[in-house]
Amino acid sequence: MNKFLVFLEQRDGIVQQTSIDTWNRVQKIAELQGAAVVSGIIAGPADIRQLESTITGDGVIYHAADESLRLYNQAYYTRLVADTFKGNDCSALFFADTAMSRDFAPRLSVALQASLLTGCMKFDADMPGGCSRPVYSGSLLSTFIPKRSLRIYILSLSTTDSSCSSRGHIDFMELEPQSFTDEPLVSSVNRIVMHEGTPDVAEAAVIVAGGRGMGGAQGFVLLEQLAQLLGGAVGASRSAVDEGWRPHAEQIGQTGKTVSPALYFACGISGAVQHLAGIGSAGTVVAINIDRHAPIFDVADYGIVGDVHIVLPKLLDLFKDFLKTK
Amino acid sequence: MNIAVCLCQVPDTASVIGFVDGAVDRSRVNEVMNPYDEYALEEAVRLKECFQQSIVTVFCVAPDSAREMLRKALALGADRAVRVSCPTELSDPFQTARVLSQAISAYYSAVLPDLVFCGKHSTDFQSGQVPPMLAQMLGMASVSGITALTVSGEGFQVEREIERGIEYIFVTSPVLLSAEKGLNTPRNTTVRAVMEARKKTVDLLTVTLHEEPLVVMKDIEPLERKKLCRILSDEKELIRLLSQERHLF
Repeated sequence: MNKFLVFLEQRDGIVQQTSIDTWNRVQKIAELQGAAVVSGIIAGPADIRQLESTITGDGVIYHAADESLRLYNQAYYTRLVADTFKGNDCSALFFADTAMSRDFAPRLSVALQASLLTGCMKFDADMPGGCSRPVYSGSLLSTFIPKRSLRIYILSLSTTDSSCSSRGHIDFMELEPQSFTDEPLVSSVNRIVMHEGTPDVAEAAVIVAGGRGMGGAQGFVLLEQLAQLLGGAVGASRSAVDEGWRPHAEQIGQTGKTVSPALYFACGISGAVQHLAGIGSAGTVVAINIDRHAPIFDVADYGIVGDVHIVLPKLLDLFKDFLKTK
Repeated sequence: MNIAVCLCQVPDTASVIGFVDGAVDRSRVNEVMNPYDEYALEEAVRLKECFQQSIVTVFCVAPDSAREMLRKALALGADRAVRVSCPTELSDPFQTARVLSQAISAYYSAVLPDLVFCGKHSTDFQSGQVPPMLAQMLGMASVSGITALTVSGEGFQVEREIERGIEYIFVTSPVLLSAEKGLNTPRNTTVRAVMEARKKTVDLLTVTLHEEPLVVMKDIEPLERKKLCRILSDEKELIRLLSQERHLF
């Protein structure tokens, strides 16, 4: 019988939504493969009652509530997850695609001699264990096959993939406090400073992105208003970031983030290949651009040809009215 | 301080990736230094400029055609360049990391370099696995995707972007750091630096690989992204159409 382990990332004691989504997706994969057991591991003290209403399926969730695991520590986390994986005789380990998993999953791959597949978009039913993802700026799709019996998957975030697994029974098991102090302390997170307000572009279900056509940092005020109204995040093209109009954390594309919102607005973005690389898995794409021949229209579902400074205020008012009537 | 920088080559962003007979055709592609590696190299050179007697050595696992890129790295401030040759064709990040770790161990013999810099990922395959794998093999800590670095007492204070925030991490050497955009603004080469780099040699180090890949690429196919865009005459129409997509609102 296959045993799957899911890493559930906590921050400030709250298990992250991306991890919960991953757990629910793994439950579905387990169902499809038949007779697979799913367990979870939480590193650091976390509010586990919060999970009872959000996660689906059956399984055991191990909780290592040790204070030394509250903030991310690469060496401690690597050892805890490796020990849990081996201790439970697991065959596959799953992560959500986050800064944290990208930092230590490759180390686990070496430590466990397990095949690591990153950025997995979809699992191919014909090839058990394989998965595919875009490469070369999203112009090609590659399928990767694990060669080892032990596998680690980093699942790309998806806001369009809704889970339909049913609620089951989850057992929570507190792990005995372990001493990690024998590990040489070579790196440690001292503190985390959170940005105020809007969600992260990598996680947002709605993204309102702007490019050179916004004309300057001031132009993004309109995008901020629309993003706030729709509960989304502001994104930016490379030129908008290089001009200093927006921070790099908001950049979408080849040298920025890869995003997968359900709804994506590209405002004043021409649609260079490098930008399109970041929005390959976006749901509905709306392009607003003054140039009818801009390549962004080739990948958009809906387009409005016009000046963003005229179109956006109108859209903003219409959305306000629309949301009021909902 | 000994600083190693790992470089790789990728198709430049303007190149169109060909696709012939079920395989990627890189023959007509212009290969350049991976953009993230430029930030890594720049940060290494800046540290060297602050700390006297530091030596920056760049490593690249590549065929002889990478020589030009290694010369560019020398012109950008690296002291030494090593082209790592491996008779086996490398097929996954694990093998690349293994070859790099063998090369770095052999080059520095018993003592590990104080710092290893990499780009956070290569822009072609974007897996980002090589840097943490290499660190694990070398037995050193690593931090992926740093956007700031300051020398602080016995170690380094680094920052990296995480979801909705910034993480502040203290690390001591030896450590591997992978560079994210925003870490610095890489310098350009000068004519004089290019001339001087021509006088330097690019060392060759041959490494034998004994391990099988952990992952293989089964197939690759063009990804069609084109959509039939519906051009709308006014904004009201857009709201109406979006409101019909049930999952959105």
